[in-house]
Amino acid sequence: MSAPFYKLGAFGDEANLIVAFFIGIGFGFFLERAGFGSAKKLVSQFYLNDLAVFKVMFTAIVTAMLGVTYLSWVGFLDLSLVYLVPTYWIPQVVGGLVLGVGFVVGGYCPGTSVAATATGRLDGLVFVLGFAAGTLGFALAFPLVAGLYTAGDLGTKTLPQVLGIPYGALVFGVVLMAVGGFVGATWLEKKMAPKAAPATATE
Amino acid sequence: MASVTHDVVPEAAAERAPAAQPYTNPYLAGIGLGLVLLAAFVLVGRGLGASGAFNSSIAWLVSLVAPGYARSNAFLAGYLEGGTHPLKAWLVFEVAGAFVGALLSGLLAGRVALAVEKGPRVSVAARLVLAFVGGSLMAVGAALARGCTSGQALTGGSLLNLGSWVFMMCVFGGAYAVAFFVRRQWR
Amino acid sequence: MRVLPSLTLNQRLGVLALALGALAVFANVAPGHTIKLNARELLISVDRKEDHVTPAELAAWIIEGRNDYRLVDIRDEKAFADYHIPTAENIPLATVLDGALARTDKIVLYGDGAVHAAQAWMVLKGRGYTRVYTLLEGLDAWKDEVLFPVLPQSPTPEQEAAFERSVQVAKFFGGQPRAATAPGGPPMVMPTQAAAPVVAPPTLPAGAVPGPRKKREGC
Repeated sequence: MSAPFYKLGAFGDEANLIVAFFIGIGFGFFLERAGFGSAKKLVSQFYLNDLAVFKVMFTAIVTAMLGVTYLSWVGFLDLSLVYLVPTYWIPQVVGGLVLGVGFVVGGYCPGTSVAATATGRLDGLVFVLGFAAGTLGFALAFPLVAGLYTAGDLGTKTLPQVLGIPYGALVFGVVLMAVGGFVGATWLEKKMAPKAAPATATE
Repeated sequence: MASVTHDVVPEAAAERAPAAQPYTNPYLAGIGLGLVLLAAFVLVGRGLGASGAFNSSIAWLVSLVAPGYARSNAFLAGYLEGGTHPLKAWLVFEVAGAFVGALLSGLLAGRVALAVEKGPRVSVAARLVLAFVGGSLMAVGAALARGCTSGQALTGGSLLNLGSWVFMMCVFGGAYAVAFFVRRQWR
Repeated sequence: MRVLPSLTLNQRLGVLALALGALAVFANVAPGHTIKLNARELLISVDRKEDHVTPAELAAWIIEGRNDYRLVDIRDEKAFADYHIPTAENIPLATVLDGALARTDKIVLYGDGAVHAAQAWMVLKGRGYTRVYTLLEGLDAWKDEVLFPVLPQSPTPEQEAAFERSVQVAKFFGGQPRAATAPGGPPMVMPTQAAAPVVAPPTLPAGAVPGPRKKREGC
């Protein structure tokens, strides 16, 4: 097994930060490519007339997921060394809901707000400031929410473990769901589009 | 807000910027994003993220102003221990790169312009207030969930992480539930 | 006649995804259970004594309050509960690869004697752990040298001075010195965990939750 390279000692901490920077460049680049530097495009997802958020997100998930699966299968990538955020289901449910509300009110998520700020969107910058303020507020109020923060600690759990379905089968399931979702999304977009709009060129 | 391909250069910028290119095919952009994520897995053994960079930065700022408090605050202390400067964190560098990458893409596509993204029925001031409020709500959500859409949803999603999928569904749920009530801001 | 209908780009991507997904059903992603050892490197490392720490070194680290390493007791839970070296964590031998230990951690392993810790050491080395060490001769040596140091008969001044220091260390860990006796002398009583010195982890401020690991990897 050769990967993950950093964890197997291929390069040190300083180089790791340089790698982070370049990976970040790729990240921001494709976010903006997809139009996610624009709040209007992002929230269109939640008004059902432009489901690019769903398409991009799940294509990315499927791509990385298939990549991880195949690279582990051939013994190149040691999956056990790839960091998994532990599951604290209660704050993650609450946090997810709150984040969704913040998304549609603020118009961005933290990554896309950085992309928006980079391309000159003032509301993106204000969102960033709001995010910083919210983080500070959370930190100051932490003793009050510490209980919620650590509730529902299930440890590190993957869906295959919890559902008892083999990893590969679940991967296929996710792909099926995603592709089905894409077909559905395209249909929905056509349905929601005003009649005068030109036919979408993507399908 | 009609078709998928041509869209959404904010009105304010439309006069100034040359015609911006349409956005890339979402599936191709998604593949690009997925490959970047895969590269992170293979090179470093971790995924993408954004909210963590904010946590580090706030921890650092607080430690400048009130170092004793920062160290005793259980949430912030985690970003300050270990002897390295809190800003020498993987996510901080990654987010800095994201800024550069987005700028690059925007320049290539002619989409860099000083503008405020909003619908026609709301004022700039109101939009900015809502952006701030939305941002702070998001920060709370991300802190509780240990991540945001890039970290938890994208990264954890592709790794079939239980908490990430649960989180992802709640994000969509929360957003759809409230979208109707804030539609005035966007349409 | 076989006619492949002309598919749009997106449709081709969809087909590709489905094909890769279907194939993935057969994937086996769990890491294998084999280890790779560089025998030469291993033997050299043992020869150079780079594979272990002595009880005296470990005692010093604990007294200094160093926390840049993990002390791992590989015995079973009952043995651990009866007595363990302060600051140790219990990771029974069979579970040592189960994920509690990170490859970049600095780890000191100990068991009752030398053998089991050495076996665990070899397995971890074979899985790419770079900073693994055993406690030389394990708990047996810990008892002999740290908890119950012995003053040799007719000691030289250096030996007396060294012994004085060992007495202090022994007291710290709840042990006691003994004079060199003939075989069959009074049995040594292991310090109970209650008597063990307070080398508690740094106390957390009120309302705090246990902090995350040092190297933050979250988002």
